[in-house]
Amino acid sequence: MATVAIARSKPGATRRPAKKGAKRGGKWSPWLFALPALVVYVAFLVYPAVSSLWFSLTDWDGLSATYNFVGLDNYAKLPSDPVVATAVRNNLIWTIVTIIVPTVIGLALAIALNGKVHGKPILRMVFYTPAVLPLVSIASIWGWLYNPQYGAINSFLRLIGLDGLAQPWLGQDSTALWAVMVPAIWLRTGFPMLLYLAALQGIPNELYEAATVDGASRWQQFWHVTMPGLRPAHYIVLALSLIDSFKVFDMIYAMTYGGPGTATQVMGTWMYANVFQYYQAGYGTAIAVVITLVAIAVGIPYVRSQTREAS
Amino acid sequence: MTTEPTTPPPRTTGSSFTRRGFLGLTSAAVAGVGLSACTGGGASTGSGATAAATNNLRVFTYEGDETIDLFKAQMKAFDQQAGTTTTVESLPGSGAAVYPDKLRTQLLGGKGPDVWRIWGGQIGAPFAKAKQALDLSPYYSKFGWDSKINTAAISGMTFDGVKSGVPFVSLGIGAWYNKSLLAKAGVSGPPTTYAELEAMNDKLVAVGVTPCGLGGKYGWDIMRLFEYLLEHTAGPELHDKLLTGAESWDRPEVVEAFALFKKWQDKKWLPQGALGLDPADIEPAYVQGKTAYTITGPWTEAASILSAKKNPAGFGSFELPTDQSPARHSGFVEGYMINAKSGNADKAAELIDFIVKPATQKALQVSASTVKGAEPDAKSLPLSYEWSQKYGSNPFYTIQDQAFPKKQADQYFSVQSDILQGSVTPDAAAKKMQEIVSAWAKG
Repeated sequence: MATVAIARSKPGATRRPAKKGAKRGGKWSPWLFALPALVVYVAFLVYPAVSSLWFSLTDWDGLSATYNFVGLDNYAKLPSDPVVATAVRNNLIWTIVTIIVPTVIGLALAIALNGKVHGKPILRMVFYTPAVLPLVSIASIWGWLYNPQYGAINSFLRLIGLDGLAQPWLGQDSTALWAVMVPAIWLRTGFPMLLYLAALQGIPNELYEAATVDGASRWQQFWHVTMPGLRPAHYIVLALSLIDSFKVFDMIYAMTYGGPGTATQVMGTWMYANVFQYYQAGYGTAIAVVITLVAIAVGIPYVRSQTREAS
Repeated sequence: MTTEPTTPPPRTTGSSFTRRGFLGLTSAAVAGVGLSACTGGGASTGSGATAAATNNLRVFTYEGDETIDLFKAQMKAFDQQAGTTTTVESLPGSGAAVYPDKLRTQLLGGKGPDVWRIWGGQIGAPFAKAKQALDLSPYYSKFGWDSKINTAAISGMTFDGVKSGVPFVSLGIGAWYNKSLLAKAGVSGPPTTYAELEAMNDKLVAVGVTPCGLGGKYGWDIMRLFEYLLEHTAGPELHDKLLTGAESWDRPEVVEAFALFKKWQDKKWLPQGALGLDPADIEPAYVQGKTAYTITGPWTEAASILSAKKNPAGFGSFELPTDQSPARHSGFVEGYMINAKSGNADKAAELIDFIVKPATQKALQVSASTVKGAEPDAKSLPLSYEWSQKYGSNPFYTIQDQAFPKKQADQYFSVQSDILQGSVTPDAAAKKMQEIVSAWAKG
C-alpha cells in the first residue's frame, strides 16, 4: 500500500508548483479571470438595469436634474392605460405569428432544399438574403410596396381585377399590424431554414432506410424520424424566435410609427414613446421593467429545459 | 494504512450550482438587457457640470439637403470671423417626430450640442423647463435682439417668462398648388371662400386628380387640414380658447370640424390611405403632378420645387379661406437654444447673433425670417417672397402640435385617425378631445 501511496504521490509532486500557484490566487482565481468581463457586464448591463429599476419608482421626466420618489405609482397606472392593453394584445399576436409562421416556412424550405433540388445554393441565398438586410431598408421597401395608390401590391391586385382587395394596408387599424408582420416573417424565415438545413444533414440516412423497410410512409418518416432528429434545432429556433419577438420595435417604429393612432403600438414602442417623447421616463421605465419580467417568466422554462438536457 | 492519502469527497454541489447558476445568470442577463435598453442616460441626471471652454462649437439642426450646404458655408464664415471651429450635425426629414428625441438623448449623454435648432411652443418647452436650455435674457440685452427680432416670434420661444430661444423664422402654413392641375380641372384661380375650395376639390376629383396631398404617418401632417377646418368652423377667438383648454371641445363647432374632416376623406379629396402615408413622400406629390396641392409652408419652394429643378412659375400658394375675420393661417416659430452646460455660451450666443443678422438670413435663404431687413429674395425664392408679401403680415394661430405637449398631440392624432376610419362619430370625437385637453389643462 505504501508503494501505491508513493506511486500516487509522484504525479502530485510534479504538480506542486501549480498547487502553490492556485493557493496564491486561492478561491478568487476564477473571479480574477472573469473580472474584465464582469466589469463590462456590471457597467453596461447591471448598473443601467438597476438605475432603470430605480427610475421606475420615480416621476423623472427624462430631462430634468431632479425627480421625486413615487413608489409603485407608475406600475399602478399601467392597467388603466388603454394603450398598454392594445400593446399587450399586439405583442401577443406578434409573438405567436412571428414564431410559428417563419419556423414552419423555414422548416418546409429546409426539407425542400435538403432533397435533390437544382440551384440549391442560389435558392438558399435567395431565402436567406432578407435576414441580412438592414431593417430600415426593409421597412422602406415594404412601405413602398404597400403604398395604397402606387404600390406594387395594390397595382397587382388592380391588374388582375381584384380592385376590391386593394387596401390602404398601413393606413387602417384592421390591416396595419398584419401588414407589418408580413415583412417580419419574410426576413425571419431564412435563419430557421439554415438551422434546420444543417440539422437535417445530421440525421443518419440509415434511419430513413430502416423506416422505409418497415413500411413507413413519407409522412410517418417526417413525424417519427425527421422531427425527433431536429429536436435540438427546435430549441434553438424557438428560443431565438422568442427573443426576437420580445424585441419587436424597429419594424413597427419604421413602418407605422405605432399608428394609425395607436393601432400598432407594442410594449417596446410604447415604452419608447413615454421615455423619449412624452417626458415620462419614470412611467416608461416601469413599462420596461414589466417587459423584462415577462421575458424572464417566459424564458425560464426554456432555460430549465436546456439545463436539464445538458445534465 | 495510515499513509494512504484520503481522496477528497466529490463536490456534490458542483452540478446543482452549474444549473442554477446558468439559470440565474441567464435570467440576470435577460433582465439586464431588457432594463438597460431603457434609460442609459440615467447617470447624467445628477451631472450639472459645465464643459470646459474651448473654441469648438457644435450645432445640431434639421436643415434639409437643399439648405445644409448654405448653412455650413455660413458657419465657416462665422468661424473665420470669431476664430472658432464649428461642426454641424443635421437630422433632416423626420420633422418634430424624431429630432427632439435625438437631441434629448445627446443632452442626457453629456455630449449635447452647444447650440441647437428647435421649434417653439410645446416642442421647445421641455428643454427650457428642464433647464437644459440656457436663459438667454442677458444675451438679448447684449445683442439687442428684442429690437431686431419680431416680438410675437420671441414670445413663441419664451417659456414661463424665460427667453430660452432666439427665433429666426416664423412660418405660415397655406396651400401650395400646381397651376397646371388646377387649369386641367378648369379652375381659374385659388379659392377665396371655403365653398369655393370644396367646389375646386370636386372639379379636381372629376378630372382624376387627388386634390390635397397629406400623409398621416406621424399625425402632424394631416393635422394641418383639421386645424384649418376648426379655424373655419370655430373662428379665431374660440379656436384660441380651445387650444388652451379655456373652452370645452364638446361643442357644435368642433363636431362640425370633425364632420368636415371625414367629408374630405369620403369625397376622395385626400389620397387613398392617407393615414398610412409618409409626409415626406406625399407632400412633394403636387410638384410631381400627382396631387393638386398640399398644406405646407414656404420651405417647400426650396425643398420640393427648386430641388426637383422645376420652374417656380408653375406653382403658387394661397391662404386657406376660413370665411372668418380676421383671416388667419396656421403658423409656428423656430429658433436656436444654447446648452446650459456649454462651456462656450458666449461664443454660442455670438454664433446665434451672427445667424440672425439680415445678411446671414438672406444667405441662408430663410423664407420667412423674423429679422427686419431679411425678407426673402424675390429672384431666388419668388414664391416665398410672394407669400410673405400677400399673407406674411396676417395673424396666425398656433400650429396644433406646438399648442399641445407631445403626448396630448399624439392622443389628438389618434382621434383624427379614428374619425377618418369611421370608428368614432364626430360627436364622440369632440367629447374625446375634451377629455384629452381638460386632463392636460388640469394637470
